[in-house]
Amino acid sequence: MIANKNLIPKTMKKLTFIIALLMIVGCSDQLDLTNPNEPTSDTYWKTEADAMRASSAMYNGLIMDGTYMRMIPALTDGRSDGFQADTPWPDLWQVAAFNVPATSGPVEWVWREHYVLIYRTNQVLHYVPDMDIDQGLKDRIVGQAHFLRGLAYFNLANNFKRVPISDALPDQDEYNAPTASEDELWTQIIDDFKAAKENLPVTYDNVDGPDQGQVGRATSGAATGMLGKAYLYRQRWQDAADEFELLIDNNSPMAIYSLVDDYRHNFDVAHENNSESLFEVQFATPDQVGGSVMNYCCEPNSNWMQVSSQAYTYAAEGYGYSDFLPSRWLYNEFNQEQTVNGNKDPRLIDTIVSYEPGENSTTVYGDPWPYTDTTAIYPRKYTNEGLPQPELREQSGINYRVLRFADIYMMYAEAQNELGNQALAAEYIQRVRDRANLPNRQTEFAGYTQQEMRDQIAHERALEFAIEAQRIHDLIRWGWFDDPNKVEMLRQRDPEFNSWSPGDQYLPIPQRELDVNPNLEPNPANN
Amino acid sequence: MKSHLQQKSLLLIALFFAFCAVDATAQHTVSGRVIDASTSQTLPAVNILVKGTTRGTSTDAQGEYELTVPSATDTLVFSYVGYQNQTVPIDGRTEINISMQPQALVGEDLVVVGYGTQQRQDVTGSISQVDAGEMKKFSSSDPADLLQGRVAGVQVRSNGEPGSIPDVQIRGVGTFGDSQPLYVIDGVPVGTSIRDFSPNDIESVQVLKDASAAAIYGSRAANGVVIITTKTGTKETPLQVKYSGYYGIDQVWQRIPVTGRQNYQMLSNEGQRNAGLTVAPGNDPNSPVYIDDINTDWQDVGLKRGQRMNHNLNFSGGGEYTTYNISLDYLNNKGTLVGHGPDYKRYSGRINTVSEKGIFKFGQTLYYTHTDEKALNYETNVLTGGRPPMIVDLVTAIPTLGVYDESNIGGCAGTESDIHRAIILNVPCINQLLEGETYVDRTFGSAYAQLQLLDQGGHNLRYKLNVSYDRTNVRNTYWVPEFEMGFFFNNTKARLNDGESIYTTALIENTLTYQKEFFGKHDMKLLLGQTFQKGSSVFRNGYSEQFTQPYFPVLDNGTNQTASGSEFENSLASYFGRLNYNYDDRYLLTATIRRDGSSRFAPNYRYGNFPSASLGWNVHNENFIQLPEFISKLKIRASYGQLGNQNIGDYLYTNTVNPGVVYNWDGSKVIGGIQTQISSNDIKWETKTTKNIGLDASFLDNKFDLSAEYYNSVTDDILVGVPIPLSVGANNSPTVNAGKLENSGLEFSLTYSKYKGDFTFDITANLSTLKNKVLSLGGDDEPIYGVGTKTEVGGEVGRHFGYVTEGIFQSQEEIDNHAFQNAGTSPGDLIFKDLNDDGVINADDRTYLGSGIPSFNYGLNFTGQYKNFDFTVFASGMGGYKINSRMYRMLMLTSDYLNYHKDMLDRWTPQNTNTDIPRRISGDPNNNGRNSDREGWLQDGTHLRINTVSIGYNLPKKLLDNYGVQSTRVYVKGQNLYTFQYYKGFNPDFTSGTFEPGFNNGSYPKPRTFMVGIDIAF
Repeated sequence: MIANKNLIPKTMKKLTFIIALLMIVGCSDQLDLTNPNEPTSDTYWKTEADAMRASSAMYNGLIMDGTYMRMIPALTDGRSDGFQADTPWPDLWQVAAFNVPATSGPVEWVWREHYVLIYRTNQVLHYVPDMDIDQGLKDRIVGQAHFLRGLAYFNLANNFKRVPISDALPDQDEYNAPTASEDELWTQIIDDFKAAKENLPVTYDNVDGPDQGQVGRATSGAATGMLGKAYLYRQRWQDAADEFELLIDNNSPMAIYSLVDDYRHNFDVAHENNSESLFEVQFATPDQVGGSVMNYCCEPNSNWMQVSSQAYTYAAEGYGYSDFLPSRWLYNEFNQEQTVNGNKDPRLIDTIVSYEPGENSTTVYGDPWPYTDTTAIYPRKYTNEGLPQPELREQSGINYRVLRFADIYMMYAEAQNELGNQALAAEYIQRVRDRANLPNRQTEFAGYTQQEMRDQIAHERALEFAIEAQRIHDLIRWGWFDDPNKVEMLRQRDPEFNSWSPGDQYLPIPQRELDVNPNLEPNPANN
Repeated sequence: MKSHLQQKSLLLIALFFAFCAVDATAQHTVSGRVIDASTSQTLPAVNILVKGTTRGTSTDAQGEYELTVPSATDTLVFSYVGYQNQTVPIDGRTEINISMQPQALVGEDLVVVGYGTQQRQDVTGSISQVDAGEMKKFSSSDPADLLQGRVAGVQVRSNGEPGSIPDVQIRGVGTFGDSQPLYVIDGVPVGTSIRDFSPNDIESVQVLKDASAAAIYGSRAANGVVIITTKTGTKETPLQVKYSGYYGIDQVWQRIPVTGRQNYQMLSNEGQRNAGLTVAPGNDPNSPVYIDDINTDWQDVGLKRGQRMNHNLNFSGGGEYTTYNISLDYLNNKGTLVGHGPDYKRYSGRINTVSEKGIFKFGQTLYYTHTDEKALNYETNVLTGGRPPMIVDLVTAIPTLGVYDESNIGGCAGTESDIHRAIILNVPCINQLLEGETYVDRTFGSAYAQLQLLDQGGHNLRYKLNVSYDRTNVRNTYWVPEFEMGFFFNNTKARLNDGESIYTTALIENTLTYQKEFFGKHDMKLLLGQTFQKGSSVFRNGYSEQFTQPYFPVLDNGTNQTASGSEFENSLASYFGRLNYNYDDRYLLTATIRRDGSSRFAPNYRYGNFPSASLGWNVHNENFIQLPEFISKLKIRASYGQLGNQNIGDYLYTNTVNPGVVYNWDGSKVIGGIQTQISSNDIKWETKTTKNIGLDASFLDNKFDLSAEYYNSVTDDILVGVPIPLSVGANNSPTVNAGKLENSGLEFSLTYSKYKGDFTFDITANLSTLKNKVLSLGGDDEPIYGVGTKTEVGGEVGRHFGYVTEGIFQSQEEIDNHAFQNAGTSPGDLIFKDLNDDGVINADDRTYLGSGIPSFNYGLNFTGQYKNFDFTVFASGMGGYKINSRMYRMLMLTSDYLNYHKDMLDRWTPQNTNTDIPRRISGDPNNNGRNSDREGWLQDGTHLRINTVSIGYNLPKKLLDNYGVQSTRVYVKGQNLYTFQYYKGFNPDFTSGTFEPGFNNGSYPKPRTFMVGIDIAF
């Protein structure tokens, strides 16, 4: 019927043409889709509001499991001679007994979350200096980034000895940062705290900007205190003393701190951010700040809670997990001296739950002594025992006091002792003892030799800072683990030291990290 | 404007052609009757085609047909499922009666390929047809599960939880990411899971394994393609109603031997004492709280009898122009764990119709399903502590705790730290308190319109428009009442999550098919096409807490109500073409190309081209080669091609800022924002290059069918989230193009059919091997570690990695003379080999301990018929791999308060030194639990599972005639009757992660099922 065969290829051509048209017109621009959920980093970092949001987001790194929410307190307190594990969770008592496999989850979390914090500070330090915003605000935000980064490396250096430094945004393919030397690491810490000190205000009460009145942001006092502490840990005694004097000397603008009258006010919800506090991590219950998702780790979202798990982890048998107990040695140490009134050291009551009819302290969370054993002891510091609010599972709102003024006094005393000024040391030790209402032994202490004073400081610090994530670092920096006599003494105090072998005072570098990063070196705890 | 005009004129031309064509063809009419050669019964619905055209008809209920053909010299092709094709020249006849020879059930002659069909003998790529009838004899809630053991080169691993989605891998681990194949149902890609679809609707299944076969789905075909067609009606057939149903009882037949109270307490105390610790008061005979009256067998109280049932009603038929098939299906599978779940229910309905007249053809599918699943997932905010799967918690629970305790809120018993010291989960009780439920509503509709533009002078041109829309609404609810369960698991606020996810996929496809036969021997088929697909996902969740009793768990009734949500979109634009060329049925060529653009890549990396070519040679049609008598068919084929993969998340190429990072200033909440994840901006298509050589042969009058293939595939630019150091500070492993993988293997399938006489049967066997090798890992080729595994260049993915043991220390002297292990190492601890001879055992002494990937898979199926009886036995298995069992290790671990495997009774003690099980000691100072080759830590996975044994009986026709029933078959069936295995856990064919293929995290046991069923046709 159809004779003209030329029609066929022509039709084909046209059809192909139409199909081709369809292809071109149809779709290529439909492949450009933008993420409706989040801004991209190219569009962020523009406005003052962006800078403010980024500055707050850094602090979120402090309230995760691997930082102050649980594991910095738990894994450092657990290694002290004043604290013993009493937990069915192997990871916790392995740390307390210095028998930590490099595959330990909590150790990995500590590592991970500190670097999460560092990554965020690096972003702020990368973008904010070039932003077109108020210079004062810019300086304050940059200063806070330096402070938080310094704090993160301070914790990493103390717990892992040597770690990689990341001080800029990582380039793709350059993720495998090498292990830094201890000197490099401490230089980084000191430089960060110095930069923080220079850029930060004494308080935010009167600053001109959207951060005005925001209590909890790092201040120059906090940076100065941490800088002094870093010098102290490096045994740069004069440098340390100089920094502490900026906080003590009444002529200094930073000298705004004082000891609070009631020792317990340093560990409760009602007296947060008080005059003794240089820096604290802000925790809050869901009643205060909402949230329904536990803030353990990983990808944050706006439904996160901002709670601390420490209280429930430490809380006494029947009221919490009771994962740790104070050691009997610590209890006895508190009983060495009585107050001028003949009472027990009030810090004993504020630190340890024990049966003390003489002190009118025989209840636990309001219940009459619930244990058959009246010699049983449990932690009280950083729990809600004796406070108005109940122990709400792992949802404590108690702020973690990272640095308080009593420590400035004690560190100043230590620096002065090392500089040969025992009398000055004695004065500042006694200031801290006075708050506990202990007898004035300033004159006696002033006559101590340097070594006697060291022993006294070790004793005073054990009591004043029990269960404050400091003790193991003190023991390490004082060289006790290089001294067989001291090790033997620690074993007497806390049998968990029986399974300690050299190097175990640190947390091991996580095996996952060693596996992934070929430039990373193991540390002495890795065997 | 111009194109519009052209379109119009074109349509006119096309119509003109078509009318002419109709006019020209009314020339010769053929009629006849088709019967079965062996039974002489008439055969309805036999397909009859005029060779080289799409013109055809099918026989009616009486087996008769009538067909008008263009010319009396044309040739007719008769085809019918289960019978050999017959090609008959008309030679001027008007009546042609045909008797058709039955053939092996496999090797059906028409193969469904992407965007079309092909004659089996013309296929040049690697396509396995699955015998749908045999496949459906296995009962499972997910049709993908039915592929297990059926196809050489297809590995299916699954567990026994109702509704669980199996892990299907075609030809090995081709990628590090999602390695599930693409499923195409009735021509529409539906994603990588087909759980929502009823197996009863399936008419045919073909698995496209190599690049040549799958390249037409280039963009997502790298993991292979499974093409499923659903049932359609038959023309000129009165309504046929079929009912099939079964009922079965499920029971977990395996038990893990664990210790009872006394042995548990003895072993626990021994470990505590060896560590110098006090024993748990509950295990201390001297304690007032010593437990001597509780001895719970958790597997006994926690496992129950499950059940499954399925009802299916099918209506089908057709008139002169339209056929229809309508089905209704109900599946209910109740799991074997005491408590709320796991259960799975599915209601589904399908309507398939096809209408055809003249040059027009129209077809549509409408499918709707509702499922209701109670899965064993639970809120980690309540059950904290990184719990293993519930089945592991059940088996490892200590026997000194009861199930119920009325004094606790919620009534569940729990461990006390001052009695048991243990953290264990009371599974049967908590599984009654927690109520998680997932409801899925899925509507899937597709329609096509086909226009025969040309059917003249050997030219055949068709245009087809296909559109589909697939929408899935998922509602997830999770209710946690207030409860107390010991010191660790408590929930002080009743809470409810009620969330919804909506997934949509819209697809439009335009294809043109041109076919021409010239000079009698050259046959050419050309396909051109274009598709555009858009997908979206919307997630939202409502949360509410502090419900008061009596509970009314809806979001309104709680406080602290929060909402969350997110949205994603993706699109894919593709163009493709395929050429099939056949010379004299001897030489065959298929060439394919596909170009894809994906929104998941940055504009510079958006497009990928995926070409392939394959050749086939039908040796038996060759004149100059005289094949030996016993070879009835022989075909050799080879292919080469590339496939793509973009199966990753959306927007991964951009750096984004997390806008929900919370903090507070002295109690005042602020929401910050910062980048928390790292992205790689230059990610591009993953490409898989495959080579395939195959051979298909039939022997001894087609009694034997053999298919053998060798393949080699290399996946390059693998898209994967490579672990980066945590010291980078990001919360993710950025997805990058990292690495290169090679898979190679041999595949055999063999069928023997006996289809004459009273006793007929088919035996089908398949076997495939798999060799996997990592060629590169991107970047600096840093190895990737998984759970007890290491993946490194030169080796296969996820090899077991750890220490080598050399027995057990018997004395302090032996310890002193050995490389240093740990300060706490004592007699009774494992000796680890100092591989690098540096005098200390540390991470450098680890080495490879074996493969986690099965190196071979096999399946065996026998199905036979004797008079009215039919029998089936189906077995499958795999082998050549080792299993790291989380459950077994927990039961043998020395550091925790958990129950013990009975193997632990043979642990080392000063009195029992001739053993390979180390001493009990809390704290495990020697780290005996580390990954190593110690006894039991890696177990041989080789196994053979008897999947199905069934006997059916067809009721005699005489009996049924009075009731208007055409046929009735009743059957009994046993499923998962037994597994021959070395493995000391439940399933040796568990699902697992890519980088730890041999790690069994706690696969839910597959139950043994006894079923009775009936199929009735009216």
